[in-house]
Formats: sequence, structure tokens, C-alpha cells
Amino acid sequence: MHLPETTLASVLLVGATSGLFASPAFSSAATSPPTQGDLVAVRAHKLHVSPGKVLEDATLLIRAGVIVQVGNDLEVPEGARLIEGDVVCAGFMDPWGSLGMNAAATVDMATNAATSAIDGVDPYLHPWYRNRALAAGVTAVRVQAGMVSARGGVGAMLSTAPADDLEGMILLKDSNAAAGLGLSSRGNPPDVFARISAVDKLVGDINKGREYSITWAKYAHDLEAWNKTIAEAEAKLEKDFKKAKKDRDKEIAEAKEKDKEFKEEKYKEDKRPKLPKLDAEDAVMARVASGEMPLVVTIHRAAEMRELLKGTAKFKRLRLVIAGGTEAEAVADQLVARSIPVIVRPAPLGANRPDEYSGHNLALAGRLADAGVRVLLGSSGGGSSDLPLLATLAIGHGLDRDKALAALTTEVARTFDLSGELGSLRPGRRADLLVLDGEPLLPTTTVRYVLCAGRVLISPDSRD
Amino acid sequence: MIQQPTRLLQRIAQTHLALTLGLLGCSFLLSAQAEAGEKYAVRAGTVHTLAGEAIPNGVIVIEGGRITAVGSADDVKIPWDAEVLDVPHLEAYPGFVEAHTSSGMDRPNESVAVAPFLNVRDSIDPVAFYFEDCLRSGITTVNVQQGNACVIGAVGMVVKPRGMTVEEMLVRPRSGLKISAAPKSGMSRATQAQTLRAAFTGLRNHLEDLVQQKRNGNDYSRREALYQGRDLSGERGKGRAMMSKGWTVEGLELVPRGEVDEKQEPLLDLVEGRVPAWIYCGAPMDVRLAIELASDNGFLERTTLVLDDSCWKAADLIAEAGVSVVLDSTLVRTETDPKTEEEEEIFIPGVFKDKGIPFALSSRNSSTESLWFQAAMCMAHGFTRAEAMAAITATPAKILGLEGKVGCLCPGAAGNVLLTSGDPLSVTSFIEYVVIDGNLVYDRSADIRTQHLLEGVVPEGTESHAEEPEVEEDTRKKAGDEAGDEAGDEAGDDGGSR
Repeated sequence: MHLPETTLASVLLVGATSGLFASPAFSSAATSPPTQGDLVAVRAHKLHVSPGKVLEDATLLIRAGVIVQVGNDLEVPEGARLIEGDVVCAGFMDPWGSLGMNAAATVDMATNAATSAIDGVDPYLHPWYRNRALAAGVTAVRVQAGMVSARGGVGAMLSTAPADDLEGMILLKDSNAAAGLGLSSRGNPPDVFARISAVDKLVGDINKGREYSITWAKYAHDLEAWNKTIAEAEAKLEKDFKKAKKDRDKEIAEAKEKDKEFKEEKYKEDKRPKLPKLDAEDAVMARVASGEMPLVVTIHRAAEMRELLKGTAKFKRLRLVIAGGTEAEAVADQLVARSIPVIVRPAPLGANRPDEYSGHNLALAGRLADAGVRVLLGSSGGGSSDLPLLATLAIGHGLDRDKALAALTTEVARTFDLSGELGSLRPGRRADLLVLDGEPLLPTTTVRYVLCAGRVLISPDSRD
Repeated sequence: MIQQPTRLLQRIAQTHLALTLGLLGCSFLLSAQAEAGEKYAVRAGTVHTLAGEAIPNGVIVIEGGRITAVGSADDVKIPWDAEVLDVPHLEAYPGFVEAHTSSGMDRPNESVAVAPFLNVRDSIDPVAFYFEDCLRSGITTVNVQQGNACVIGAVGMVVKPRGMTVEEMLVRPRSGLKISAAPKSGMSRATQAQTLRAAFTGLRNHLEDLVQQKRNGNDYSRREALYQGRDLSGERGKGRAMMSKGWTVEGLELVPRGEVDEKQEPLLDLVEGRVPAWIYCGAPMDVRLAIELASDNGFLERTTLVLDDSCWKAADLIAEAGVSVVLDSTLVRTETDPKTEEEEEIFIPGVFKDKGIPFALSSRNSSTESLWFQAAMCMAHGFTRAEAMAAITATPAKILGLEGKVGCLCPGAAGNVLLTSGDPLSVTSFIEYVVIDGNLVYDRSADIRTQHLLEGVVPEGTESHAEEPEVEEDTRKKAGDEAGDEAGDEAGDDGGSR
């Protein structure tokens, strides 16, 4: 999050006290007049705090871009901009997009585990592209370089709100690591044996990452031990120095007496532990193996998914995320057991679909959700502005509406460790929200207002 | 031209060499050599020093290749033993400075992505047509750098466009290391950035390894250097603590500099601030990477950005970083709104001028759209004459670290003088003479190519000349036109290779 920490902390602190605007803290703050956009109130007949949790006739208060209060009987403070609408929900997040990226970077096949998506982000992209996504209600997109490469590198979560610079676009600069298995290149699927060995290679890389972190942990441990040993040795040597000096003098005298050459005693000590070699790719895989960030694997075929699940079972902390998952129903039990989410792309595909999509079915999201699998919906880089429409398709093919909303909000935030900042309309979250004229994700509903960090970016009069 | 008999033999030898190299009919490439202490003087109708007021009836005295006096003919005495170019009908200007080009090389790009160990010295072709054209266009100082299709490229050099060997052309041997923030073919912006960072991480690891080896008492790198015959004597035999504004490696003083891998050395020079950097940006998003890379590794102060015309969008970032830039030859860019398809014209030098960013112009090709044309374009878009001239003289000179040495006619500067028939930024004026380091190196009255192209004069000894007596008027005119087209094509190729 790029919000200044102090602001966030103070807001949380104040928000924790009951009745923010009745507190004395407010009167002192009110001496400096609130600037435009600083204080916003949103009032709606239905407010989706999170999927399934709806407040009727509720108000939401935003200060400095952060939601500070949500409730039924909140007063709109003076000077606040008031926005009213039928339905309010959190902004949609595309967990599998490419908006904001340089096109060549997304299709780069030469990426490795350490390639950074941020390096492929183009902050000078014409704002029109981002505005299209915003107008559709998409306020965040997860991007990565090398979307179809064997190793996609470190992905990032970007805001679709206009920003002055790159830093302003970034919500999370290292949202995940990524890999692609069995993906067609230039229309040709990889050989069936190559596909299975690619899975083994990925498992091997995760293992290498785990060993890498062990090597570093061992080094830190050994170094500490060595430092201790040396310190002890030094103390002892200093203590024994007088005796050593006496002995030496004596030996010199003896040597002289016997007309022999005096030899200094050899000093020996343990060698300092060797510094392990830095390896950027292993370092990323180490973070994956330790569960510090999720690993998004774009994979479609059941055989490869079984192999992957089998191979990775030993990594207890690994957080797998499957993208695509065309044949994921076959391994649904395991996905449920290991709480592995699947990012589904519920888009109609033409006859010339790649081989791995041959079993593509718009009902996949619904069926997986019914089986208890955590489902996310993504555009697969095909245009984040279409994502809400794709979600309605998935609903039409059996996905529960609340689950569809979760698939675009809370589940995305949870999967990529942003639950504290995004995905729901609870106090303390960044005010990325939509004001709609109907229930979210219905084909008949239109987006009236879009707010990003409390800024009104789309409004009925700005629409064109 | 006045030719001293003592240098006649030398000249004959060189002319002979020129002939064997196929430079037929290039007698205007005068090859007299100024030796230390030799004197040359120019008397012109007006002397534009570009470092003060223009001087009517001015005199420029050049001794040992450098200007020693500039002033009115009433004030400045021409030494009795100086060779004098007396041209009261012409105007004198300092030679123009090309801040960055990849022309004049055998091949502008390399296939190796990270190759800081290369040097353009090995690729510069002294008889390249490009250098000949530089004289016609008034360019007397050229910074030759590797092309933009690289990750880390060769070390460049500043040359003057005259001389039969690279050594003779030399002005400054290590003008900087070429880096590209825009992707080399086969890479994308993400992998380009990664490779760039990895090059510096590689250097750091290498240096840390060397220190570790020394500390462990394992002199592998020393034995390796001895085996490879690398010099470990003098300065190279000594270790020095690492001096850098970016990162440092502790204990580098333990390692004699001669033991540092030759392939890594130019990068170390860059990090320690001994060579400047020229970073190419092919899109505005590359600017951020370029600045980040330069500041992380401590060479931002010695960095010049070589910009594609689209980079005007990143002007704020550039201004904040305080670096100078070399602009692309496209001065007016059309931006199209992806939705409305409305077009907006951006005059790029204007953007940089408004932000207070020092910028140098660069030629599109070696002839018709050379530096003078670019400066004239700036005047057409509202620049003052002084601003336009500065962008092809003083500013590039300053960027090259040659402030006061080239790009002005002032005492202490190199004796590089253009003598023009009028305003050098006008299409109707010609550069009649070019003096470099006090040597007359170009004389338009002897420039056979120009005469051939503009006046249809068929050079003596050429085939069409041999047939001439029987040829009818129409045919001869046609032959002349074809030759003209060829010259045009050649110029076009030259522009394309950049």
C-alpha cells in the first residue's frame, strides 16, 4: 500500500474510538478545512460490506482515502462530499490481467523466476485504457511479465486509478511468483513427456528454493556460533596472555641456551563460515517454499495438475494458486483439502482455442465452487474491462452470485495477502468502491460512481 | 591551398593511401598535418564566437591546433609566420558538435547483450562516407557510441571527422559506456531491466569473490591474471579502496586492480565514476529504469540520456534527476488519442527547454537533416538563434565534458572553424571551408561530390567523362541525375543504420 503509514495508523486509532466525529480529536482537525476529496460519505440502500454481508440503508465514511466508518445511523459530517446510490460494493479486482503492462513484457518467453513485473509496467500508457477498466468497475489488476512463459517471475498488484508515477500505481510490488505448465507456444502444445518433466522441474525449483533458504539460515546460525566461539577464544587468550608471554620468554631463553632457533607456536582457529552465493531466482523460490508469497501456476490439464499436486504435497507451507484450471474438476477434492484457489477465465473461446483449453466450459467456475473449491475470476490478460461481464457469464452458467462477487473481491484480496487493505468495505480498508444502480454483476446493472482511495474517478457526468 | 614543401612527401604518401582505399576524387579532404607550434589564422567578414558578441572583420589565430586569440582585425595581430585563410566575404562559426551517433562504424551493434569490454575504436571506419559528410555539414566533433540495440554496450570515443587512422581522429578516448534501457531484440522491458541489474550484481559478486579469495589466502585471480598475461605492474599492481557514490565492496584495496576481470573492468570504471554513461531510452517508461540504474550504481551525475522522441512524457522525471539529454532527430511528434484519434503535435525541444533540461540535438542523417537543419527547425518553432545554436555547440560540448574546448571560438578552444557563405542555419548558405585544429580540411571549391550533385560537373577520369565527347546533351544530364540519386540513397542508408 502506498498510503502514508502515519495516516493509516492515526485513522485506525481514531476509528477505534466510538463516534469519530464527536470526539475532540475531530474538532481540532476541523480547524484546518477539509480539502476536496479528503472527506467523502457514500449512502446506499444496500451496502455489500463483503459478499453475503449486506447493510440496508447504510452510510460509509471515507477520510484521506481510507474507509473510517460503516453503519446505519451515521451522520454525514459537514464539508463531506455526499454520494448517494442504490447499491455499493467493493471495487473489482482482476487477479489475472495485463492492464498497465508493456505488451511485449507480458508475452516475453525469456522471463525467469526473478523477472519483476514492475519492470514491465508502463506508467505512460494512455489513460483511456485504464479509464475503460475503471468505468467497468475494475479498480485493481494483478499483472506479471511472461504470462505464458515457464517462469513468469514476480507479479504485482496495480491500481487502475490514474497516478502521477509508477509508485502511485503499485498496490503490492511482489504479489506472487508465477509459472506456466503445458502452455501452447505459437499454437502448438508442448510434447506430452515434456509437459510432465516441466512439472518435475518446477517441483525441483521449489525444492531448490527451500534448500537455498536453509543454506542461508544455516549460514546465519553458523556465523553466530563462530562469532561466539571467537569471542570466547579471544577472552580466553587475553586472560592467558600473561602466562603465554611468560612461557614464550622462557622458551626463547631455553632456545638461546641450547643455541637453537626459536619457533613461534602455530595459532589455529575455526574458519569463518563461508557466505553463500546470492541467487535471485532461488531467492524468489525460497519465498515461495516458505509460503511468504503464493505461486500462481497457469495449468490446465488434469494429468499435469495431479503430478503438480503430488510433487508439491511435501511443501507444507507452499501456497499454490491455479490459473486456468480447465480440467480442475478432476482434482477438486485435493484443491479443497489443500485450500488451493483456482482463477477461472469464464470467457467464450472460439473454435481455434489452444490445445490446453479444449475442455473449456463456461460452467467451470460454478462447478468448482459447488465442489467447495475457492474460485477467483480473471481475464487472463484478455482485457480487464470485460471481467465484470465475464463474471455475469459465469453466474449464468451456475456460479452463485455472492461467490462471483467474492471471486472478484475478497477472494482475490485474501489470495494475494491484501485482505487488510482491499476487497471489502470495512473500516481501515482503502476506499476502492463502486456505486451501482442495481445488484452487482447483473447484466442490467450499470456502474454510476467509481472511487479509488476515496477519489471519485467515474461519475454519471464523467461517463462518455 | 597553400602547401608547405616540407610536408609534400607526407601528403603524397597519404594521398596515395587514399587512392588505394578507393577514395577517388576526394582531393578536398586535405590532409595537411598541424604540428605543435604551427600557426594558422583566419580573417573573416564576421566572426561568431558564440561566446559573446559577433566580431566584424575578425581574426582567429590558431597555434598548435588551439585558438590563441580571437578579435577584431584592428586588435589582433596575425603572426608573421602564420598561414592565413583570408576570406572577408565569409562568416566564421565554431564547428558543430554531434553529442551522440552510431554512424561511422563498421557495424553499429553487437550480438552480445552485455559487452562493456568492447570499444568503438575497433569499429570506427576512418574512411566512412559519414565522416566526409560531417565536414560538408559543419560537424567537427563527433561522439561515436555503440548503437541502441544492446543491454550494456561498448565504450565510445570522441573523434574529429578527419584522419586516416582512428588514432589520428581521436579527441577523447573514453567518452562513455553505452547502456540501453530499451529492450534489445528478443527481450522485453522486464527482461532487459533484469539483465541490466544482473550485470551490476555480477560485478559486485565478482569483486566480493576477489576480496574473499585474498582473505582466504587463495590467490587464484592473481595466478589467472599472470597466466592470461594481464599487466599487474604500476597502478595495476596496486589495490585501491572502492570509490563510489552507489555501493562499495569492502576490502577491495586488498585486490590489485590488474586482477579485476577485464570483462568487468569497464563496469567498475563506470561505478567508480571514471567513465560517463550514455543510456538510451526507447519509451518514456525506460527513463525511470535508466535513472534508477544510474543512481543505484552511483553514476547518475555522469549520465546522459539518449532519448527517443516519445520520451518527452518523462520530462518531469528527467528534470528531477538533473541529467542532460540528447534528443532524437524527430523534433515534432504526433500523439494520437486512442479513442478519439485526435492528433496533437508536440515540439519536443520546447518541452525540454521549458523544464530547464540541458539538451543536445542530433542529426537524422549525415547530409540533408544534419545538425544545422535540426537547429533551424528549432528556430522555426520559436527558439532564439542563441538557443538553437547552443543545442548544437555549447550544450553538446558541455555534455561531452569539452566545455570551452569545442563548440565556441574562444582562446583555449580547439581551432575548429567553419566559414560559411551566410547564415549556417539557412538552406541557401554553404559551408565553404572547414578548419580543424588549425588545418584546412575542407574546401567546397574542390568538393567534387557536391559539384557533381549540384552542378552536374562530371569528375575527370570517370567513365562517363571518358565517353563524353560523343554523348548528347540529354543523356549527359540523365547520367548526372542518376549519380545524384545514388548519393541520396547512400545518405539514406547511413541514417537507417543508426
